[in-house]
This record gives sequence, structure tokens and C-alpha cells, in this order.
Amino acid sequence: MSKKLDRKDFLKMSTAGLSTSVLAGMALSKPVVAKNRTNQGRPIRLGFVGIGGRGTWHLSAALGIEGVEVPAICEIRADRLENAKNMVEASGRPSPTLYGEGPMGETDFERLCAEEDLDAVICSTSWKWHAPIVLAAMNNDKHAACEVPLMLTLDEAWRIVEAYEKTGKWASTVLGGFPDVTLLNMIRHGVFGEVLHIEDGYVHDLRFVKNNIEREPWRLQHSIDRNGNLYPDHPMRTIMPAMDINHGDRIDFLVSMSSKAVMLNRYAAEQFGTDHPDATRTMNQGDYNASLIRTVNGKMITLNFDTNTPHPRESFRLQGTKGVYEDGADVETIYLEGPSPESHEWESAEPYLEEYEHPMVKNYNPPPRVGGAIEGHGRRMDQTPINWHNLIMAITEGTQPYIDTYDSVTSSAVSAVTEASVANNGRPVDFPDFTKGKWKERTPIFMEA
Amino acid sequence: MKSNRRDFLKTAGLGSLGVFGTGILAGCTTQEEVESRLSQVKEQASRQYTQQFNMHGYAAPALDVVRVGMTGVGNRGSGTVRRLASIEGVEIVAVNDLEEDRVNEAIESISETHSPEGYYDGEDDWRRMCERDDIDLIAIATPWHLHTDQAVYAMENGKHVYIELPAAQTIEECWRLVETSERTRRHCVQMSGSCHSGDAAYVLNMVRNGVLGEIVHGEGGYIHDLMNRYNFSKTMYHNLWRLNENIDRHGNLYPQHALTPMAQMMDLNYGDQMSYLVSMQSNDFNMAQRARELAEEDEFWEPYVGRDYRGNMNSTLIRTHKGRTILIQHDVTTPRPGIRFNLIVGSVGTYHARPGRLGFSYDDGWIPQEEYEALMEEYTPEIVRRFNEMREQAVETGRAERSYARVNATDWRLIDSLRNGLPVEMDVYDAALTSSVIPLSEWSVANKSASIDVPDFTAGAWESNERGMRVNLESGGGTTRIR
Repeated sequence: MSKKLDRKDFLKMSTAGLSTSVLAGMALSKPVVAKNRTNQGRPIRLGFVGIGGRGTWHLSAALGIEGVEVPAICEIRADRLENAKNMVEASGRPSPTLYGEGPMGETDFERLCAEEDLDAVICSTSWKWHAPIVLAAMNNDKHAACEVPLMLTLDEAWRIVEAYEKTGKWASTVLGGFPDVTLLNMIRHGVFGEVLHIEDGYVHDLRFVKNNIEREPWRLQHSIDRNGNLYPDHPMRTIMPAMDINHGDRIDFLVSMSSKAVMLNRYAAEQFGTDHPDATRTMNQGDYNASLIRTVNGKMITLNFDTNTPHPRESFRLQGTKGVYEDGADVETIYLEGPSPESHEWESAEPYLEEYEHPMVKNYNPPPRVGGAIEGHGRRMDQTPINWHNLIMAITEGTQPYIDTYDSVTSSAVSAVTEASVANNGRPVDFPDFTKGKWKERTPIFMEA
Repeated sequence: MKSNRRDFLKTAGLGSLGVFGTGILAGCTTQEEVESRLSQVKEQASRQYTQQFNMHGYAAPALDVVRVGMTGVGNRGSGTVRRLASIEGVEIVAVNDLEEDRVNEAIESISETHSPEGYYDGEDDWRRMCERDDIDLIAIATPWHLHTDQAVYAMENGKHVYIELPAAQTIEECWRLVETSERTRRHCVQMSGSCHSGDAAYVLNMVRNGVLGEIVHGEGGYIHDLMNRYNFSKTMYHNLWRLNENIDRHGNLYPQHALTPMAQMMDLNYGDQMSYLVSMQSNDFNMAQRARELAEEDEFWEPYVGRDYRGNMNSTLIRTHKGRTILIQHDVTTPRPGIRFNLIVGSVGTYHARPGRLGFSYDDGWIPQEEYEALMEEYTPEIVRRFNEMREQAVETGRAERSYARVNATDWRLIDSLRNGLPVEMDVYDAALTSSVIPLSEWSVANKSASIDVPDFTAGAWESNERGMRVNLESGGGTTRIR
């Protein structure tokens, strides 16, 4: 099948036009990975667990990369497992070993982690399985690349941190996406002065998805059982590096508040009739949740979470001592004291975004994808997504993805901590320091551009 | 004896540079004073109260002519007195300020239609004005810390009051306003022009008509860069009182612009009520630095170096008894275009300000501009229509040109209500509730964002009170002209 990917070749192909400093930036987080082998001269072997919408997309992304092998797949639904097997075979790779159908059923991923020789496990299951799968991978000498959230509870978070520190195998939510590095570049160049407040959220009406039992039978249950910010990772992946969280600053404490829950009952009543159990069932999750997060350096983050109301979409806002940037989804605006032409009037951010476009993005030129555009739930891209590139680089070079174990755990832990606050009338809850003091010394990620 | 400004400064002990360290920093307080003030917040907030008389919905006897005494004609009040002077049936009979020049300028600015008497004989001259028996309404636009004392004294002397926001600074002051208004049966109205201007009144009308469905969440703030032109200005505020409010005070000091419209959309005080709040604040990242920079150039600023400045960003989350949430922010010191009432989320639709837009579905996004404008036109509330008619008539006569141009519908409707003997649209409970967020947020910030219960100034009447803020003039009136 495909020719083996040599590290040097991969770098050559993927970084044509990139300066070495960009490469350094992409691979900057180099913590305790000394015992990791690098993959020079070897294919990268990935085992996939969970082949739903996102899992299909990730598998498709991986199969488009030369030098990546997929020797094992685990999925509990036979139709999806069959489809995944066909995808691997169609790419010209050997037929993968299949898991998920045996007597172990839902926990068959443990057998995959124990028996297969893999560099990393790619986890895209429903949320509650993320931590068990990630831990099984790490404890079986495999890295774990996971969809968001990495885990649901603080107990799981600490177990992942301990597994990382014990085994040297990392766990990362790199599959969730990539930060806005151009904005980060502007911050690093001091365009906004000192960043003191960032506001973002996950505002996305998922009432249809939650009630799509065929596609995601598990998702509604989280709204029934839990109440907090259940999906912090998308905003946090840009906010954390923008504020150097875990790299010079850290989250001190947070408060969180949820509104009443009316939307899901109404939706069920309208769609399925007032006799349907979901029309009257108690939904714990408030329709709107807002969380206020404070860092030890005195900065603030405001996170919104709303997946139930007909709210067109979120907006991102970053405030510094010299100016402000807002991404209102339709239009990106900026105001900088001094450079902006009108006093306290927004102007288009486009010229600035162009000027400060991060070379990592501007010069991104991965090897051509094999097999056409990516399939599954996600953007239909003809190019290897940059987070996948980052993941492959980490495995190849023996580093960690841009969002390393501590940062991934921190990002996803926002959920559990907000739930604790909401349950106690918005009580302030201290945020765990998963780095155990190392945040003071850890250097900011993507420093060089 | 009429005193001039120099005399006042002398008697107040502020005439020379040497006193900067003591008296001039009105916000300058000891740690003990700060702690004592905060402990009183908790105590006063948990007070059990029995209503003496329900001022909500109360209609005072109609006044054909509303005789007005104005106190505080600085930055803000000099405009307030002109706005009120331009409304039919208003007679400005007295104007008070510490500074004679200000009083004279204010009198001159309305001399075409009014001949008020000036009061500028020292710090307490406003009391003499309140004691006159030929005044119906005292309008207050003095520095914040005077608002409640003046309002209470005016009501005790039989006057209705119209107070620039914020009406009160402490929970104790909020209770005093409520008790006094109930006992004297005098209206206590906090100016909240934001409720009638911009989109807020239109959106309120939509909410009242169910266009957005059941209201779940709202957001807004007072995001207004006051840093250099206002706070660090020697001339903008008397003795730099506004800058001094940025020292030793940590919380949301100006919630009303955002909160009052949202309170109306959520029926707070008449159908729902605030339950508790939490408040968080960032550090100060530029005020202390600005003070240091200024002091290097000019020793005038030396007393401002090393002070405990409020953090730039304050965010307060409020939950209501019926499970609605409100997020209000306060930031007056970073360079940033402004925000007031900003977002209201309902079960059917969402409104977002700046630019105004409406959305009814995630997938379809915000509705097209033409549809948005058509909806805004359809839901233009009667109060706005009538007010605009009155203004247009005034413009036609040529009088509304100059200084009168900025009269707002809040002023107009207050006078209209008093003249027609109608309940006021915003009463003492609204003033107390929205002002109480200031000390409550200060308490929460001082206690690591702990939650604190919001006092119910209506003493339970919110459950049965009729809706306030009748934007379609449901209670009648709307007959007052603009000069």
C-alpha cells in the first residue's frame, strides 16, 4: 500500500515555505515525553474507537494522510463498523481488526487498547466513554487523541493526569479543532495591550440533534441529568492560549448560573405530542448558562452556553488595555485606541487579520490528501485539517499536540466545576491546578510567529 | 448669604493643595469603613419588610402645572433642566447648585420660558429649596452620594422626586427610599432614558406581545470609556467625584442602563423578582498606571497614585425567582465602543443590539434587514409614537431646535403622568431594585463572588402587582405637549 512516511519527507512536504521558527512553534509544548519513541521511518498506527458522525470524519481525515495506518477499529453499531471497515479497505490499506461486536460490547475498546500495537487511539464516542477509553489507551502505552470533552468528572480528570505522569503517554482534545492563531499572533504582538477579559460561548440550537434518537441516543440524557456549561472546549481552545492559562496564569475560581429549563419540554410537546414523556420530564439543564471565570492574575473569562433557544449564534469578544476585538460570526470588528480612525467606533478587523495572519496558517501546506474530500460530520475539506496535521506532527516528533494533557484536562474540567457552582446557587468553586504549580514555569504555546 | 465657589471650597477645607490627601477624595475610605459598609449590605439585604402602602400603581392627584425645583446643574443636570423646561405644563421655579455660575447659566438657558430662583448658598441650600411650598417635583442630578438624602428630604417635604441614576448607593438607602415614598405617598422615579430610547421600548413592546416567546435570559452593560475624558479630568466633575468613585469601590456601579429595560421585559417587581446574584471583577490593568503617568507630569495627580482602583471589568449574574438569568457588565475604563441593553433571549426569538437584529432560528440566522425594520415599525409602542408626534409639533413651531431637542420620552411621560393623575411608569421599587445591584455586587466581589439574596422591596407584592411600564399608554394620558 502506501509508501512509508519518513519524518523528513513529511516535514518537507508539509512545511514547504514554513520557517523553522514556525515548526518550533507548532511543536513547542515539550513536556515529559522523553520516553516516547519518535516515529521516524515508521508508519503511524492509529486505532479508532467510535465511528459516528465525528468518528467518520476523523477516520476520513486520517485515511487521506499517507503514512497513516488504521489497523483496528472499535464501534458498537454493526452498520457503522462495517462502513468504517469499508472505508479503510477502499483506501487501499489492509482490512482492520474489528472490535465492538463481541461479548464485551461497550467495553471492547479495552481489548483493542490491550492487544493492538498502536501509536495512538482516536476517540470519538459519546461523552461518557471518553475518559475510560483515554485511560485504557494511556495505560496500554498508547497516546489518546480525543473529541471534546476529554472527560466528564474531576475524578476522571485527575486519573488522566496521573496516567500521563506515570506512563508518559498523553491525552489531548486536539480532535476538537484548532485555536484562532491569528488572533493569538495579534496578542503576542501587543496589538491589544494586556488582555483582561474574553467572552465567548457555545450558542448553538441543538434541540433537533438532542431529539434525534437514531443519530445520538445519548445526548439528551446529559440535559436531563446535568446542569452547567456542558461544552466549554470550543471557546476554551482559543481563550486558554490567549490568556496563557496553564502557561503563566491559571484559572483560580469560577461561578456559574443557569436559567430555567423550558425549551426541551416544549420542543418535545410540539414534535412528539404533549403525551410524550419528554414533554413533561424534568430537564435539569437550564436553557441558558453563563459562567464567570477568574484567573490568579486577575483576568476574567465569560462563557455562555445555550443549546436550546433559537439564538442565531454566539459572538467572541476580547478586551485588552489598548483595544477590543469582536467576532460576531457575520462580521469581525475591532477597535484600537489610536490606530482606529473614529473614536470608540468599530472598524472592520479584516486588514488586521490579514496583516497578522499567523504564518502557521498562511503557509499551511500539508501533503495532498488522498481520496478526495473528508466525509462525515465536519467541514468537507480537500486538505488535511490543521489540527490533524498537528496531531501527526506530535506523534512523529515525540511531542504533544498543541493542547497537551494538562490543557485538555483543564479545558474540559470547566464543565464539572460549573455544575458544582450551579448546584449551589452560583457558589464560587475553586478550580483544580492540574499542573500542580508547573503553570508558573510552562512557556506560552505558539510563541513564535 | 450667597456663597461663591471659592467660599465653598474654603469652608469645606478644600481650598489649597495641602488638603488633597484628606478631604478631596470623597471615595477615600479606611479599610474599616469599607468592611463596615459591606457587612451592612448583608444585614440590610436580609431585612424582613412589611409594606406600609403599595406605591406600585399609585396615582397621585393630578397636577395641572408641575412646578419643578432642580438640584445639581453640572454636566448632567444642566441638560436635565433644559429637557424638563421644554415640556408643556412644567414650570421650573428653582435651580440649585454649589456653584453660582452654574446656577446662573442654567437659569439663562431656560430664560425664554422660565424664571426660576437660584439657590447656591452652600452645601445645604437644596434643603431650603425643598422646603418651599410651591414646588411639586424635585429633580436631582447631583453627585451620586447625595441622591438618596435629597430624595428622602424632598419627599418628606411633600415633593415627588425624579432622580438621575443611580438613585441609591447602599441597601439602607434603597429601603429609605421605599419607606419614605410609601409613607409620604410621593413618587420616587429614577431617570432611565434608556427605557424609552433606542430599541429597548420597541423590544419591550414585542416582548409584551409575545413576539419573542417566554423570556429566558438577558444581557447588557454599561460599557462606556470614561477613562481620560471623564475620570481623569480636572474639570468635568466637581472635585473629581466621579474619579473618586473608582477608588475603594469594587462592583457594578452603574447597572441601570442595562438592567432597567431588561427588568421590564422580565416583569421584575410585577410578575417576577430577582432572587440572588453573583459578581466577579477583574484586576485593574490601567487606572493605577494612568494615575502614575499623570503624576509624573503634574503633581496635582499625586494623591491618586497608589490607590485601590476598581478592576476594569465587572460582570454580575442575576437569577430571578422564575428562573430567568441576567448578565450585566460594567467597564468604564477600557477603550471600547459602548454597550447598554444588548440581548434578550426568548423561547421563540432573540434580539441583539448594536446593530439591532432579530433572530428566530439558529439555522436561518438573523432575519434580513427589511424584515427587521418592518417588525420594528409594527411594534413601535404608542408611547414612542405619541412622544414623536409631540416633538414633531414642537419642531414645526421652531422651538424644539436648540436646547430643547434632547427631551426624552421618560421625562415627557413622567410629567404627562403627573398632569393626568396617572401612576408613574417606573416607581420607587424599580429605583430601589436596580440600585440595590450596586451594593450587592460590591458585597459579592468582596466575598470572592459568593451569591447574595436580592431584597424584595415590594415585600411580596410583586406576585400580584399589575404590570408597570405600559408602553402603549394603556393607563391613558399622552396628552402633554412639548413646547
